[in-house]
Amino acid sequence: MKDRTLVQIALYAAIIAVLGLLPRFDIPLAGGVPITAQSMGIMLAGVMLGAWRGALAVTLFLFVVALGAPLLAGGRGGLGVFFGPSVGFLLGYPVAAFAAGLIMQRFRNQPVLPVALIAAVIGGIVVLYPLGIIGMSTLGSLSPLDAAKACLIFIPGDTIKAVLVALVAQTVARGYPEALISRGA
Amino acid sequence: MISLYLAERTWLHGVPAGWKLLALALISLAVTPFDSLPLMAGLVAATLALYASLGRAAFAQVALLRPMWPLFAILIALHWWNGDILLGLVVSLRIVAMILIANAVTMTTRMDAMMDVIEPALRPLGWFGIPPRSVALAVAMMIRFVPLLFALWEALNESWRARTGKRGGWRLLAPFCIQTLRLSHHTAEALAARGGVFRGERR
Amino acid sequence: MPNASLISLDRVTLRRGGRVVLDGISLTFTEPRIGLIGNNGSGKSSLVRLLNGLLAADEGRVVVHGLDAREKAAELPRKVGFIFQNPDHQIIFPTVVEEIAFSLEQAGRTRREAAGEAKAALARFDRESWADRPVHALSEGEKQLLCIIAVLVMEPAVIVLDEPFSSLDLPTRRRLERLIAGLPQQVLMIAHELDAFDLYDRVVWLHEGRVRMDGPPVEVVSAYRDMVEAEAGG
Repeated sequence: MKDRTLVQIALYAAIIAVLGLLPRFDIPLAGGVPITAQSMGIMLAGVMLGAWRGALAVTLFLFVVALGAPLLAGGRGGLGVFFGPSVGFLLGYPVAAFAAGLIMQRFRNQPVLPVALIAAVIGGIVVLYPLGIIGMSTLGSLSPLDAAKACLIFIPGDTIKAVLVALVAQTVARGYPEALISRGA
Repeated sequence: MISLYLAERTWLHGVPAGWKLLALALISLAVTPFDSLPLMAGLVAATLALYASLGRAAFAQVALLRPMWPLFAILIALHWWNGDILLGLVVSLRIVAMILIANAVTMTTRMDAMMDVIEPALRPLGWFGIPPRSVALAVAMMIRFVPLLFALWEALNESWRARTGKRGGWRLLAPFCIQTLRLSHHTAEALAARGGVFRGERR
Repeated sequence: MPNASLISLDRVTLRRGGRVVLDGISLTFTEPRIGLIGNNGSGKSSLVRLLNGLLAADEGRVVVHGLDAREKAAELPRKVGFIFQNPDHQIIFPTVVEEIAFSLEQAGRTRREAAGEAKAALARFDRESWADRPVHALSEGEKQLLCIIAVLVMEPAVIVLDEPFSSLDLPTRRRLERLIAGLPQQVLMIAHELDAFDLYDRVVWLHEGRVRMDGPPVEVVSAYRDMVEAEAGG
């Protein structure tokens, strides 16, 4: 590990925080439904930084939230959030970023847009939701199926976010390929 | 940075952070196996009494639960659907109590005190070549970056609006990522100029 | 035994990304105040980065106050303090006292010692009240001063400033110049504000990786100005 890696990890942890605190984005595709950008930050960390750095950036973000910083979307934070029903999602974030980053690294020679889209969908939905559902079913004494029902309403929004993350990754790859660290040598 | 920490001192501020964290862990383990409504109602009542003993400012923090009401409504509805509304209530009360107790620890413990408790647990990182102080450094850098990145976002948004008359929204993300990476290059160089954290790996 | 208060570059060549950035440069700096001028891309920034070990020469030898930059790279950051163009890129910590304490910890102090000495350092600059202030609440000039204090506490022998005035207004710049003038350290400064070198001992003009001119500030600066005007006019 190098100083630069450490700075990048801290930087993306801060990006995740800032995205959660910004006013909601209005997304034209979703019929003007506003969405918070924080979970985009999780996907971005994996897609942009790659598996390990992405996962560490997300872990650092959660660590600072646990220390007491109200950096989760809507200004939540502290230890309390780790006792709420969405704890599975929170603890799943680093795994999601890791999975997204792994896919970016594996397919580094393929076109950015489709790979980033698949990486964001697999990390941010396919990997993340089962973990979130396990958490919710454990804490809420629900069957996994019931817990899944409670989570499904978020999938359309997260799909849109994955598309946006892929578009961002492609734009970055064209404008400043170096910033796509997951694809570096 | 804004923080959940209560500036006004309460008796719970005086309890060492390590004890508070230990108590939190023990309570969370202890209440998990019991699905009794009176017990959980009692736990919530005790928690509210704890908040009352911490004063008005602390009690106002109970409102932090408000955004969670829809979730509790769904939780109870699902249990009601399955014919066990009582279990839904028990589960919701337990979650409410645990969130409040955990937040009470956060409200009365400074971030650096929390960090000091955790630091010994980070020592094994040294075995993997990660200096334990790099964690503290990463935390500090992240907290330092947050207002900086906000300002950067505002600047991007301003120039976008100057040209289009609209808010930039997600379209600013790509330039944002590029500019922040430039920032990280410079910061990494400045860190290395002062000797860096990972000695022996400077070029 | 090499001269202990001397910076020497001996036939130094540096390549970055297949491009020759510095082309066989030999220079010896003994004067207390030295300026570096030249167009963007002339190699100024790369040259000063060799002195701190941020970059390593591909050929040739760099010696800074008795330390060989290749063999003693790990010791250079304590010998050569660096002030960058944008203080926001340089400050790592959220509060003033932490930023200074970090430098002291880098110089081998324990955390407790560092915190105490950081406050003492602020007191020396009549800025005790800054200690717990969040960095983002400081003005640009104040942030630059913080960067300088954070470097000075490491007690370097040389201070390198890489375009320190770019984001400062004129009064703040003048204050900073006065502060730099009073430093006991050897100073190497890159700047595009050419009048900043009036009282310097020597100015080196770099052009496309080589020394184009080297001498007293008045002569070198006016020659550089003439070239720029000639090119702009032609």
